[in-house]
Amino acid sequence: MAGNTGGPWGGGGNSGGNGGGRDNGSRGPGRGKGGGGRGPGDEGPQIPEIDELVKKGQEQLRVLMGGRGGGGTGGSGDGGGAGPFLTRGTIGVAAVIGLVLWGMASFYTVRPEEQSVELFLGEFSSIGNPGLNFAPWPVVTAEVIPVTREQTEEIGVGGRGGDAGLMLTGDENIVDIDFQVVWNITEPDKFLFNLRDARPTIRAVSESAMREIIAQSDLAPILNRDRGAIAGRLQDLIQDTLDSYNSGVNIIRVNFDRADPPQSVIDAFRDVQAAEQERDRLQNVADAYANRVLAEARGQAAQLLEEAEGFRAQQVIQAEGEASRFSAVLEEYSKAPEVTRKRLYLETMETVLGRIDKIILDENNEGGGQGVVPYLPLNELRRGVAAGGSN
Amino acid sequence: MRRSTYLIPIIVVLGAIGLSSVFIVDEREKALVLQFGRVVDIKEEPGLAFKIPLIQEVVRYDDRILSRDVDPLEITPLDDRRLVVDAFARYRIVDVNQFRQAVGAGGITTAENRLDSILRAETREVLGSVSSNDILSSDRAALMLRIRNAAIAEARALGIEIIDVRLKRTDLPEENLDATFERMRAEREREATDERARGNEAAQRVRAQADRTVVELVSDAERQAEIIRGEADARRNAIFASAFGADPEFFEFYRSLTAYERALQGDNSTMVMSPDSEFFNYLRSDQGSRSAEGD
Repeated sequence: MAGNTGGPWGGGGNSGGNGGGRDNGSRGPGRGKGGGGRGPGDEGPQIPEIDELVKKGQEQLRVLMGGRGGGGTGGSGDGGGAGPFLTRGTIGVAAVIGLVLWGMASFYTVRPEEQSVELFLGEFSSIGNPGLNFAPWPVVTAEVIPVTREQTEEIGVGGRGGDAGLMLTGDENIVDIDFQVVWNITEPDKFLFNLRDARPTIRAVSESAMREIIAQSDLAPILNRDRGAIAGRLQDLIQDTLDSYNSGVNIIRVNFDRADPPQSVIDAFRDVQAAEQERDRLQNVADAYANRVLAEARGQAAQLLEEAEGFRAQQVIQAEGEASRFSAVLEEYSKAPEVTRKRLYLETMETVLGRIDKIILDENNEGGGQGVVPYLPLNELRRGVAAGGSN
Repeated sequence: MRRSTYLIPIIVVLGAIGLSSVFIVDEREKALVLQFGRVVDIKEEPGLAFKIPLIQEVVRYDDRILSRDVDPLEITPLDDRRLVVDAFARYRIVDVNQFRQAVGAGGITTAENRLDSILRAETREVLGSVSSNDILSSDRAALMLRIRNAAIAEARALGIEIIDVRLKRTDLPEENLDATFERMRAEREREATDERARGNEAAQRVRAQADRTVVELVSDAERQAEIIRGEADARRNAIFASAFGADPEFFEFYRSLTAYERALQGDNSTMVMSPDSEFFNYLRSDQGSRSAEGD
């Protein structure tokens, strides 16, 4: 059991065992010349080492037996070599090797992220904490389990084909969901004794829980606002189910990676988003138009008002000018009315008559006031004027 | 030498017999001791146990919670809509003796087959008795419990305790999937069209309001402008009236002169006049004809 729990430990133990054997061999030639000469024809270089081991084993055996040990160990060993050396030697070597192997099988290390579960004759006895642990083989066996390490199950991601994450919602829509369940082991004994296929069980429970929650919800909330709530409920549901199995598994968290519409309808969903943006765009364009024409209208209104104000100022000022001119003229006129009146009249008539075409007819001779009028070729006069005007 | 050569095989044989008469029951398993196929002892507690070598054999069964995934199964709920469901069960072998008798030497594989058929039958029965809306709702947990309770009784005959039955997938059959996708797409299209129409509506409303406001603003400004112009005219008249009122007769004279000057511009006027007019008073004589006649 210890051998398959910790690879590095097992490997180390084996190399240590080899090293021990080689140590004995290198020390051997000094003491075991006789042994070395005895069997050159058998197995070549291995034989002396084995002989040394045999001798050492014999010594140890004697010590163990206690009786014939004492001061004459070396001597009696050499002497005994001729007697039942195979039996005693082999047993001794076997005992040493067995002791080493037994030690290797009984000691094991537990790394900081692990704990071990020790079984005394198959029955749960204790939990081993990180460090060097001792489980005397074969009565006690130990299994090392990574407890604090976070393990992740990804559900809905690729794996079993395209529709792995497709789930049916309560309103009969289909949603594509990926999520991760991160877990570790809180009670290694329960974990070990109560669940055979822990990972598949966690996966199946997680998927079942997720599908249960999704089946109770409508599509829209899953896609946006309810994600956090779903992750929380999911974690509780998985944890409760696993607790009901007495599994010793703790769900650390649930990562809700993705909750999208299925691939084949995602275009339609994107189109909705595009439409929402288009709506905003249309509104913005309309707002822009409104702002523009309103500003123009305000400008136009201001222009109209200013023009009117300008007109008013102009009219008033003009009127005032005209009035004050008249007042000035009147003032002068009142000083010498006759002369001024005449002068004004003549000056004006001078200007007026100087400018226009005139025909002067003396009708005094006839004596009749209106005598000239019937002879006037008014049309021709007009024509002449028109021709003159056009020329 | 001779003693030891016999001793070793004897020790080995005795050891082998001793070891094969002892076995360890692990915490994770239960064991049956069979004697020529007949159950003679049940070891349910972990620890060291004994058997008679060669004659008796030990069969071990897992005491942990085992899992069984049932293949997807098409069911027809009450409303005749088909659903593909996929159940899985967690179970435990509680009575190894009964288990052994029920499944014989086939062991766990046989048990799984039996369990499959039990679960399939119960799933079909329970889910066939409700509508699909119940399956796709919060009643689901209760339905899973019903399946479990129904399966428990049958599984007990196998020496199995069913701990939990859960539904994994409850999906539409493959052939309904496309129709569902089409429907989802149509719903989205409706929504998208609606959004766009609302956008147009809002835009049109904004434009119309703006246009109306423009007209109102401009006409209000025009009204004010007219008022101002009216005031201007009034003021002008007042100014003139106050100035010209000082001597109306002179005003008439003066204004007439101004009017003649402006009205009788050069090119467009021809005047036929007699030299009798006052302007020509001195045209004929230096004494002034009019004044002479008048005198």
